[in-house]
Amino acid sequence: MIASGKLPDVIWLDRGADVERLRAADMLVPFDEYLDKYPNFKKWVGEEAINMLRSSDGKIYQFPNWYTSQPIGNSGYLVNKKIYESLGSPVIETTDDFYNYLKQVKEKYPNVTPFNPDLAIDGQGLDVLFGGFANDYTPAYVANRAVPQGDKLTSLFVDPVFRESMQYASKLFREKLMTQDALTQTKDQVKEQAYNGTAAVFAGASPTEYGAVGDSELKKKDPNDGYIMIWPVHKPGVDKNKVWTGTYTQLGWNVSVITKSAKDPEKIFAFLDYLTGPEGTRTLFWGPEGKYWNGHDEDGAPIFTEAYDTDVEGRTKMMDATVNFQWNGNSVFIDKSKMKHELTLPVDKQSWEARWQNEITWKTQDNATQFINMAPAPDSEEGIIAASFEEIYKEARAKALYAKSDEEVLSILDKAEKDAQAVGYEKLLAYKTAKWQENLKSMQGN
Amino acid sequence: MAEIAAVTERQQALKKKTKLGRLIKQWDLQLMVIPALLLILVFSYFPMYGVLMAFQDYNIFKGFLDSPWAGFKHFEMFFNAPEFYKVMRNTIVISFLKLVIGFPAPIVLALMLNEVKNMYFKRIVQTVSYLPHFLSWVIVSGFAISILSTENGSLNMLLQSVKLIDEPIGFLAIPEYFWTIIVTTGVWKEIGFGSIVYLAAIAGIDPSMYEAASIDGASRFKQIFLITIPTIMPVVIIFMILAIGNLLSAGFEDLLLLGVNPVLRPVSDVLDTYVYRTGISGQRFSYATAVGLFKAIISVGLLTFANLLARRTGNSLW
Repeated sequence: MIASGKLPDVIWLDRGADVERLRAADMLVPFDEYLDKYPNFKKWVGEEAINMLRSSDGKIYQFPNWYTSQPIGNSGYLVNKKIYESLGSPVIETTDDFYNYLKQVKEKYPNVTPFNPDLAIDGQGLDVLFGGFANDYTPAYVANRAVPQGDKLTSLFVDPVFRESMQYASKLFREKLMTQDALTQTKDQVKEQAYNGTAAVFAGASPTEYGAVGDSELKKKDPNDGYIMIWPVHKPGVDKNKVWTGTYTQLGWNVSVITKSAKDPEKIFAFLDYLTGPEGTRTLFWGPEGKYWNGHDEDGAPIFTEAYDTDVEGRTKMMDATVNFQWNGNSVFIDKSKMKHELTLPVDKQSWEARWQNEITWKTQDNATQFINMAPAPDSEEGIIAASFEEIYKEARAKALYAKSDEEVLSILDKAEKDAQAVGYEKLLAYKTAKWQENLKSMQGN
Repeated sequence: MAEIAAVTERQQALKKKTKLGRLIKQWDLQLMVIPALLLILVFSYFPMYGVLMAFQDYNIFKGFLDSPWAGFKHFEMFFNAPEFYKVMRNTIVISFLKLVIGFPAPIVLALMLNEVKNMYFKRIVQTVSYLPHFLSWVIVSGFAISILSTENGSLNMLLQSVKLIDEPIGFLAIPEYFWTIIVTTGVWKEIGFGSIVYLAAIAGIDPSMYEAASIDGASRFKQIFLITIPTIMPVVIIFMILAIGNLLSAGFEDLLLLGVNPVLRPVSDVLDTYVYRTGISGQRFSYATAVGLFKAIISVGLLTFANLLARRTGNSLW
């Protein structure tokens, strides 16, 4: 399509290099002149995000999906309620408390896995632990394999916080407080443990998914059983309000672009703008007015009918049918409307997920928008370095987890640092630093 | 003299005619071969132009015709890559183990099944043993992972209950165990299906040979070694040649699914998984094609070599 030049009116694609390629080939229509005429884009996407979305010529060509200006995300710690209460509901705030709690579980319940870090091979629970070892150390540092120091990004392997968190994780593993299958288990095995209540604590990037199902499964057998979430644990001395278990970015991941093949680009923009506004979102997300909602409040949030709560099956079916049309979903509007409604319900009627998102997970996700678009093109020199680095990183992290002592963890990370430097880690970090600085600049609107 | 020459000439002409004649006579049968030939042409030979990518710096936006040529750059890069030695060693070791253990296993099973006189038992064993062939590796590796798990893994529970071990073993986290696991699961999955061919070959043996042997006083074992094995040898050799041609195909899905633990990388990374990782996940298409082509060339060489050896026994493929 790109080569033939015969483009559709609108393309929905990944934010990133392809958009820039299309723009550079002069195939896209800029939105700038429509912004003031149609207010929703400006109002809901926000000035900072719009600046980030601007192309190098200073114009804006892309309409994002699921953009947000407030934290979203589900990462954190999931705790088995029955086990927790049977051990006297101890305080679990610091990493020491956490360690002691897991030890207690192991003593009292030899057949229960004290801690399951989800698919640790992808980070998951290990990354969640990492966030507790220093103020404002987000898992994005691990995900980018680079730690900011001043205005530069530096090696992860020599970062004292990363090293300490790996020592802690290794200790949990060594003392069999963490599942011995951490790196090999499948998602099904994780879910099985969650649904049968055979692990005391889970941590991961989205434990609410199996937490919600597990909660209702366990409650079927015993109404006092189920899952709760706890505020993320942190090293003594770290401010609990500066602990992040996960991140979100303001810009979503897909974008809609309007091509020069479109006959009337303004009308297309007007339509997209309508879709992302309150009326469009209400209608697309919860169906036409009358069935599941009737009228709206001053913020535009729909007033849900009784059918919304009682006819869950029908509502889900309706919502599933339109989910693929959410080209420019408005996260904040939807989440706020949902939450407003949930909070009018008594606690036991609230959805499990909504409750914990509201109480914990949304408060412990950090904004990582400054770290977007940092991966080099895979066939570039930096991309080849990144691929080699990735192998070194994955092997080192696994070996460090299996290490027999805290000293061994450090020596494994030291060796990894040496290997990484040999394949050109420094060059990769320089590339990422440059990208990061660019992001910071464009966020400030320069 | 001239007369003799004329005769042979005429005979040859006749022969030619009869060959063509035979072809024409069987035109309806020959027609049935055409779809198979087309299939091979379209799906095996036609896509081969893709190997040109190995000599280009292929760019997905520019396409085939406009991507610049790069000569042997990607081959050199592979030979000098830090992974080269490790990947080659694993490929050779794993495929060699699979050949040495996985190739005779179905023959042994077929021989044993042949000696089973109870038809019901034989049928049940046959059916049960060839069922795993139809399961995908995703499912088989799921079985293997849950059997070998440290916590609640059946193997560890078994070994613990018979007091062979005190503490569960993390089978999938210890590199030394990996080759055993990969070969065992492979044999388990394919042994039954592989034995079908040999059972068929055994069924074709003339029973009078066994009768004669037993009159001469040959024991059951003697009959197996002196009649059954020599008779099915040609089939065995043909399959052997094919297996040797596949020697560098150490496997792909099984290694990819069971070798997820990065600690296993040093023993689990083979050519095919390497191609997958760099080519598909890493989008270095030219490089991956070069590695794949390198593997294909060696495989063809091995196949020719095996065939050459087999020709001495008179059972070669071509």
